[in-house]
Amino acid sequence: MTYHTLLFMLTTICAGAAVMAGDLLIGAIMLALVSIGASLILFDFMAPWAAVFELSVCAGLITVLFVGAVSLVRASEDADARGRVKFLVLPLAVAGAAIVLWFTLPAFFGALSSGAVSASVNNPIGITLWDIRRPDLLGQTAMLAAGVFVIKSIFPRRNKFK
Amino acid sequence: MTNSFALDWYFIALILFIGLYCMLVSRSLLRQLIGLEIMSKAGLLAVISSGAFTNNLSLAQAVIITMIVIEVVVVAAGLALLAKNFRINKSVDIWDLKGLKG
Repeated sequence: MTYHTLLFMLTTICAGAAVMAGDLLIGAIMLALVSIGASLILFDFMAPWAAVFELSVCAGLITVLFVGAVSLVRASEDADARGRVKFLVLPLAVAGAAIVLWFTLPAFFGALSSGAVSASVNNPIGITLWDIRRPDLLGQTAMLAAGVFVIKSIFPRRNKFK
Repeated sequence: MTNSFALDWYFIALILFIGLYCMLVSRSLLRQLIGLEIMSKAGLLAVISSGAFTNNLSLAQAVIITMIVIEVVVVAAGLALLAKNFRINKSVDIWDLKGLKG
């Protein structure tokens, strides 16, 4: 087993643990481990820019957001606390899916690999990000502005004199 | 390389299934977001795996950076919705979201 496959396996196990965790805080920490596993895979693929983004934003910022939300709702009754069986069934469901995928997925690999060769010019990341994919940066800025607008509309400023 | 690509996609499909299962069986808004995050990780790994297969990692990295920015905004908006729902209904049950209408 290679280091690469081991990383994929550990990420899958952490994802399962994040779903099965009874405590939401442990679920959030397991999700951070999934992000760390994904960033290690990105490093292994020689994609350091994406790996650093993934590590700092997903394993850092999003985990902090999740832990903050968990600390807010932890005292309340967990909506899923009563039906834990459906989460404990997950390993069985994943095993079933694994068997089904083992037989059905290879049929699609030929189409996937032949369709993926269309974009073959390999530019440096700087040129790709700033020149070829410049509309993406505009879209990211618009998305961030939309996010700020959504949060502002969810939490409107209260009028003191009302 | 093709063998590694196939094995990568096998694990990616499993991660996607785990996230989908979490979103399907859970009623907690927080667990729904955890499922969404796991599915987005599967998408991210699919993009980088395809980028490595076609020897075009730069484009894959650019797309992944865009994905991560969108992911942060979606999670922040979802958690803000959760906080608002919890403040009003004292619950994180997704069915209580209909109480936020109007």
